[in-house]
Amino acid sequence: MVFCTLKGRRSLPSQKKADMECVVQGIIETQHVEALEILLQGLCGVQRERLRIHEICLKNGPNLGLVASEVRLLCDLEQTEPSWTVRHIGGAMRGAGAEQISVLVRTMVESKVSKNVLRMFYTLGYKLDHELLRVGFSFQFNRGAQITVTVSSVNKMLKLHATDEAVPVTPGIQMVEVTAPASAENYTEVAAAVSSFCEYLAPLLHLSKPGVSTGVVPTAAAAAASLMSDGGGTTL
Amino acid sequence: MPVRWILHWQPNQGVIVNSHIFNEISQCVESMNGVKDGRWKATITFYRPNLRDQSLSADFPRDFLGISLMDQPNKYYFIIRGNKIVLEADSSILTIMEKLQSYKSKVALNFEGVQYKLGDFQMKIIKVAPNQAENLRGILMEIEYLPISSVEKARPIMEEFIDIWREVLSKKSVPGQFMLAEADFAEYGLSDNYSWQHTAVQYATTLAQLIATVQQLRN
Repeated sequence: MVFCTLKGRRSLPSQKKADMECVVQGIIETQHVEALEILLQGLCGVQRERLRIHEICLKNGPNLGLVASEVRLLCDLEQTEPSWTVRHIGGAMRGAGAEQISVLVRTMVESKVSKNVLRMFYTLGYKLDHELLRVGFSFQFNRGAQITVTVSSVNKMLKLHATDEAVPVTPGIQMVEVTAPASAENYTEVAAAVSSFCEYLAPLLHLSKPGVSTGVVPTAAAAAASLMSDGGGTTL
Repeated sequence: MPVRWILHWQPNQGVIVNSHIFNEISQCVESMNGVKDGRWKATITFYRPNLRDQSLSADFPRDFLGISLMDQPNKYYFIIRGNKIVLEADSSILTIMEKLQSYKSKVALNFEGVQYKLGDFQMKIIKVAPNQAENLRGILMEIEYLPISSVEKARPIMEEFIDIWREVLSKKSVPGQFMLAEADFAEYGLSDNYSWQHTAVQYATTLAQLIATVQQLRN
């Protein structure tokens, strides 16, 4: 092409912002979710938000790219007009320092996009790996960091993209995830804020780094009963 | 947002686009009482797939473009012309694309323009040059009609304005004329209500036409 005489680099300045996140996960029996909601409501002082997210995980086709790559497309079905986000989750921080922290610190970049993002990635040579539907609720609040707690049941689709016919992957069990955006400068403080928040939830569930399964906690039933009887007034 | 039209300069046979022509066109806008209203910049980047086996390149889009517009500093636009896809994204998408390592930017073209106000119209006269190079490769003109955001409703007004503008240019005997390469917005799934995605599609369409014109003149 006549125009292409010089190799150029993209001209936008790289943006200095939080591109990491601190994350812990846990599971809870569905029968105790209501108690967890009461507890979270009391701790956060904000209203819960309903959550219904269609998550599509794509991987690069065999011939594309120099490395294996994965990207998630999230469609927020709670909005009147479904909105789309592209999310890239990078590698977790490693080393002795990372071992000592009880939360996982990893790179995470998100970009809100227009609706035809799936078509674009298919055209670029990405393939569907799997898709999920997360249904539940979330709380967002500031407690030493901008913390988001999501409580959701993870569902799989029996037919491609059929979110109306989704069935739970683990019936009777819901997933709890606590995340907070961080940067290379502040991740220790953010991790500490997330850890200290998780302690409040300890009687109901145990939260740990993703991939480190700790199961349900034995005190959950008693803690839930206590919460349900007095609406979260008891000091746990 | 107000409707915009983008036209490209087609020089007469044997004439090469140069700064002198650009200056003459700018003077014509000023002669129409156009008031300078700042500078404007955009960049179009061509992306190519990172392939282990180059012989498979036909399986991947050849015309994957990224557009950044100065008026929308937190947004980035992707276009795959062959497949009629336009995507608007937060500019953090660039970080994601870098991390994916599946496509790389090959070439970037700079669009630098001077903005003029003429009553309800806003015009930009734009130089197109390869990134980090001075040599002018093309001239574009963007016309914006501020009161209307419906593509169809703006059409007769835009056409009338362009007729007047062409007349002004012809009196100056500038060697060439502005041509309109109309983008088919419906093919891209865009509505009649004008948006930044329309602008991105127009720049991609006009650029393709501009490149075709340059190639035609060379052959």
